[in-house]
Amino acid sequence: MVSINYAFREISCKIVYYGPGLSGKTTNLQYVHGRMPAKSRGDLISLATEADRTLYFDFLPIHVGDIGGFATKFQLYTVPGQVFYNATRKLVLRGVDGIVFVADSQAAKMDENIESLANMYENLRENEIDSDQIPLVFQYNKRDLPDVVSLDELEKTLNPSGRPCTEACAVDGLGVFDTMKRITKLVLEDTKRRTSAASPTPAGPSAPPVVAAALAGGSTSESATAVAAAKSAIASRHGWEEKEGASVSVALSDAPVTSGPFPRRDIVASDGPAAASAPASGASPIVMAQQRSTRVRHRHRSIWDRLFGWLSGR
Amino acid sequence: MSSGTFVIHQDQIDRINAAMLRLLKKGEAKCALLVDKDGHLITRQGFTQTLDTTAMSALLAGSFASTREIARLVGEPEFSVLFHQGQRDHIHISLVGDRSILAIVFDDRTTIGMVRLYAREAADRIKELLSATSDEPTALDPDFTRSAAAKIDSMFTE
Repeated sequence: MVSINYAFREISCKIVYYGPGLSGKTTNLQYVHGRMPAKSRGDLISLATEADRTLYFDFLPIHVGDIGGFATKFQLYTVPGQVFYNATRKLVLRGVDGIVFVADSQAAKMDENIESLANMYENLRENEIDSDQIPLVFQYNKRDLPDVVSLDELEKTLNPSGRPCTEACAVDGLGVFDTMKRITKLVLEDTKRRTSAASPTPAGPSAPPVVAAALAGGSTSESATAVAAAKSAIASRHGWEEKEGASVSVALSDAPVTSGPFPRRDIVASDGPAAASAPASGASPIVMAQQRSTRVRHRHRSIWDRLFGWLSGR
Repeated sequence: MSSGTFVIHQDQIDRINAAMLRLLKKGEAKCALLVDKDGHLITRQGFTQTLDTTAMSALLAGSFASTREIARLVGEPEFSVLFHQGQRDHIHISLVGDRSILAIVFDDRTTIGMVRLYAREAADRIKELLSATSDEPTALDPDFTRSAAAKIDSMFTE
């Protein structure tokens, strides 16, 4: 959350770089650290493994200077992208004021992007942060590599609600400052909005992410359209068949699923043994990746239910 | 708390600083930092000139957050006190209310018992002072967004 210290006349905001492993989150911070004058930034702190993979987070404080009489600071964090570090990702997201989602543009990495994005929405939810309101910028990184997905397809798949996006090659610094500009402006606009008692609350800096709405069981026509677009894009890339008329409605909590094409125990992962049947179920890959995290828990419950039933029967 | 902002005012800081100074004097500690759970420094007292307090605040918050998850895994709601022992300097970290963390750096001129005793007293006082906060920020300058955009554009240029 934005910290406003009237005693020191300081505003401090937290921005988190999120994304799959090796997508370039730490590289973004390294470039910013390397290019900014020393008086405008602090030390870059990396809590990393011996192999230089982020273990907990990277941290870089940026001092923008006086804005409207307040010394304005941004605290840039990255999360560990590797799948098994989810507990730490969730901790780093706590109190976040703005997010940069760093996606790897390579075609082979699209599933990881989708899974990471779904994981981000889930972690925001668990931290009780409204993903519709949080300033969010998409950075499509590694645009210089061969076999990258087109910008149009990335937008359709990851960013159907049209949040701001940038193309980048973080290792060379291309797009890194552009991303910084966009997210910092959004965060400060959001801060201004929050502190402005007179102005009614708008819907946020841009349209809400409809994928998140769909994940939450939202059924607005906008979200349905956007999810369908994402589904269509990824299905065509994989050569999957789409099933007409399948609706998307997923409960992320333990509440029972009340609608949708299948009960939760039938949920399959796109890279699991039953992957071939997954696309035909009609759920978008992002939704399916989200479901994956609840699948194991549900399977355990199912075993206990059966055991309990067997014992009751005796 | 209102709409995700943590607001602290001058009079609160003055009183919190007084409580921290008292703690440092009685507990004979070197310095104290008050940090919110998101890693923003609220205030500091004592010999902090040689410390990177911004980085330390972020790391303290991260450390406390991970310890809380560890507590949860062993069935505790929270570990309210952390203690790190070094060769010369040591650090005592305690929770203040549900939003802040008080970190005290001390050396062998005092004892952990003394620090702990006065830390608890200071934490109670600070908690009381923080709970009095309204969290209602004063509206920022009407020109804030435009100034911010201009500043950011000039700052992040290749």
